[in-house]
Amino acid sequence: MALSRVPIGPYHPLQEEPEYFNLITDGEKVLDIEVNVGYNHRGIEKLSERKSFDQATFVIERICGICSTSHPFAYTRAVEDVFPVEVPERAKYIRTVIAEGERIHSHLLWLGLAGHFLGYNTLYMWVWKLREEILDVMEILSGNRNNYAMFKPGGIRRDINPDDIPLVLKKIDSIVPTLDRLRKAIIDDPVLHKRLKGIGILTKEDALDYCAVGPTARASGVEKDVRKDDPYGAYDRVDWDMIVTYKGDVFEKVVVRVLEMYESIKIIKQCLKNLPPGEIDLKLKDIPPGEGIGTHEAPRGETFHYVRSDGTNRPARHKVRAPTYMNLPTCEATVIGESIADATIILASIDPCYCCTERLTVFSPEGNKLYNGNDLIKLSQQKTDKIKKEMGLK
Amino acid sequence: MPDRNEILNELKNRYKDEIVSFYDKSPRRVYIEIKSESIVNIASYIFKELKARFNVASAVDARSHIEILYHFTLEYLDLLISLRVKLDRENPTIKSLTSVFKGSNWIEREMYELMGINFEGHPNLKRLLLSDKWPEGVYPLRCDYKEWDNNAIRDRGV
Amino acid sequence: MKLPKIRELLEAIKSLLTKPYTSKFPYVPHEPYPSFRGQPKFNPDKCVGCLACEQVCPAEAISHRDIVDDGIPRRIMIHYTDTCIFCGSCEANCIADNEGIKLTKEWELSFFDRSQAYETIEKELQLCEICGVVIACKDHLKWIAEKIGELSFSSPTLYQSYLKGLNIIDENILKAYKDKGRSDRIKILCARCRRETTLTTK
Repeated sequence: MALSRVPIGPYHPLQEEPEYFNLITDGEKVLDIEVNVGYNHRGIEKLSERKSFDQATFVIERICGICSTSHPFAYTRAVEDVFPVEVPERAKYIRTVIAEGERIHSHLLWLGLAGHFLGYNTLYMWVWKLREEILDVMEILSGNRNNYAMFKPGGIRRDINPDDIPLVLKKIDSIVPTLDRLRKAIIDDPVLHKRLKGIGILTKEDALDYCAVGPTARASGVEKDVRKDDPYGAYDRVDWDMIVTYKGDVFEKVVVRVLEMYESIKIIKQCLKNLPPGEIDLKLKDIPPGEGIGTHEAPRGETFHYVRSDGTNRPARHKVRAPTYMNLPTCEATVIGESIADATIILASIDPCYCCTERLTVFSPEGNKLYNGNDLIKLSQQKTDKIKKEMGLK
Repeated sequence: MPDRNEILNELKNRYKDEIVSFYDKSPRRVYIEIKSESIVNIASYIFKELKARFNVASAVDARSHIEILYHFTLEYLDLLISLRVKLDRENPTIKSLTSVFKGSNWIEREMYELMGINFEGHPNLKRLLLSDKWPEGVYPLRCDYKEWDNNAIRDRGV
Repeated sequence: MKLPKIRELLEAIKSLLTKPYTSKFPYVPHEPYPSFRGQPKFNPDKCVGCLACEQVCPAEAISHRDIVDDGIPRRIMIHYTDTCIFCGSCEANCIADNEGIKLTKEWELSFFDRSQAYETIEKELQLCEICGVVIACKDHLKWIAEKIGELSFSSPTLYQSYLKGLNIIDENILKAYKDKGRSDRIKILCARCRRETTLTTK
């Protein structure tokens, strides 16, 4: 029995972010997998001890570009849990609208990437064109396409202009026909059935043992969703369903994400039609000593933040846990026993976001010098000088 | 449907020698402080009998000692239980929870390298996030961490 | 399966006849939505030079420099474009009715030389008339005097700044300047000198 070693990463055309997987194979069947993380660690927890509570929200927002609302939402809930205090009603509704808009754009992004990994580049281009409508909606509401800067402990920073709401509703209604067409194409396609059904099965016992969260667990029959179990925001005031399927393979994970997008559209429309008037900010001044815990259902699962304050205006300890941190070890249960050709789509089906998981270390090519941020700036300045000389501008 | 107060009273009575303090902060949050020897018994009771889900464990450096908090969620009651364990600062050790559920593997490795806590019985206690060139014995999340890299530039870079 | 093929054929013909989704940037300019958050700009008439935006900025992208030896004493406020994260905290915390620094809609901000990527404005400074230390910007003292109304007549620093700004200085005050006695009581002073002149008789 001749064993061979197939490394995936750290830079691989089928992985969006750097991560190192080592597959031990016998022929085509995978026998063991090792995971090496740490390529994206930035030390966020130590950084947020040097900023005040209000300024730390901006550092937290930049942990990840895709799930840019889920971390500030969980952090502001944790700071409000130290008292505990409730935000005004209008702020709850607007927070829900922003969070659900982000969920739609994140699921569309993942759908395009899954199409790219399987070889369906047309699906990739179509889905990302559809995503532009949602990004326009987020720009109208908050001023930017990605890092929205809307959250603050005690409420939200900016209000929604009521003149913008008809345009927002029109844009959201315009994506539903294309979404219907995509859903029918994905669920009925025989090639996708052959490629995705029956591989990468995660059983319900394994999902409970590894404590998996999000659509990864909901596709295996585990009926847990933070929005229903611990209601916050406006989720208990609007009408929507939780999507759960029972087989646990990669095809079911795709189906769960596509159907969740319809529920998000329902929630946004109901929230915008019933927006209550009133204040948007509680104007919190001093945070008393104590500890608080905040959670939020991000597009990938449950985000968990723990904040401890000692009475000054800076956090004494801030712990961040992203959903991919709990989902990634399940690859041991799903990849072993499958063939190498299926390994990448199984690893991509948990929707990994590695920058959320760790919190950059760059090595020089000789491997003996550790670069930090300012060294990288100097390197890029040297390259810019070289380009300017070649273009004859100096 | 089980009742919240029944379950909490049953927990208090069953382990009354090992619980040091019990703080019922609000309907959704409960903080229990326990002795560090009995973590495996209580955690496996909460995970297996009460069917809770393990969220994460966070380590905090209070100046006189080191604390670890283990957070568990009970979804059917809308309740989050946090178990607090206080350890000695010179030589923090505690038993590992990997024998009870597999979800604690990575978080214990991270607490080992960033705070310096030793977990007995962990199958694979090596570094998770820091690079291999990082020196031994330097723990970034402790409050007395000093910058050790003399070649790093720490201004705006312009 | 014939029907999906016909559906796809109709789809292909429809796509041939519609125009492309992309716009012809850079030949056609791109206008963002009204609520877009672009480059912040100082307003020299409204800014009072209080440094609230510098304390609140999460990225430390605003700083200042006080020049006292060279010409008219002035304070230079600097905003670094390459560090700014366009969050809007400076505008939300500006004390001059959120008008001292405002976020415009400019987004084409690339540059080749990083050391030139900043903008400045200058505000005049007020120095103490005895010891020469910096008190605050002249516009800031006027703003405080207007905000507290008639109570500003309790502090010579405040009412002098206010009246000088309105260009009405009384004859009596000018005569008192030449007085050899306690004329220190009506000069514009820093807090330490004011305490010394009130409590002692030097």
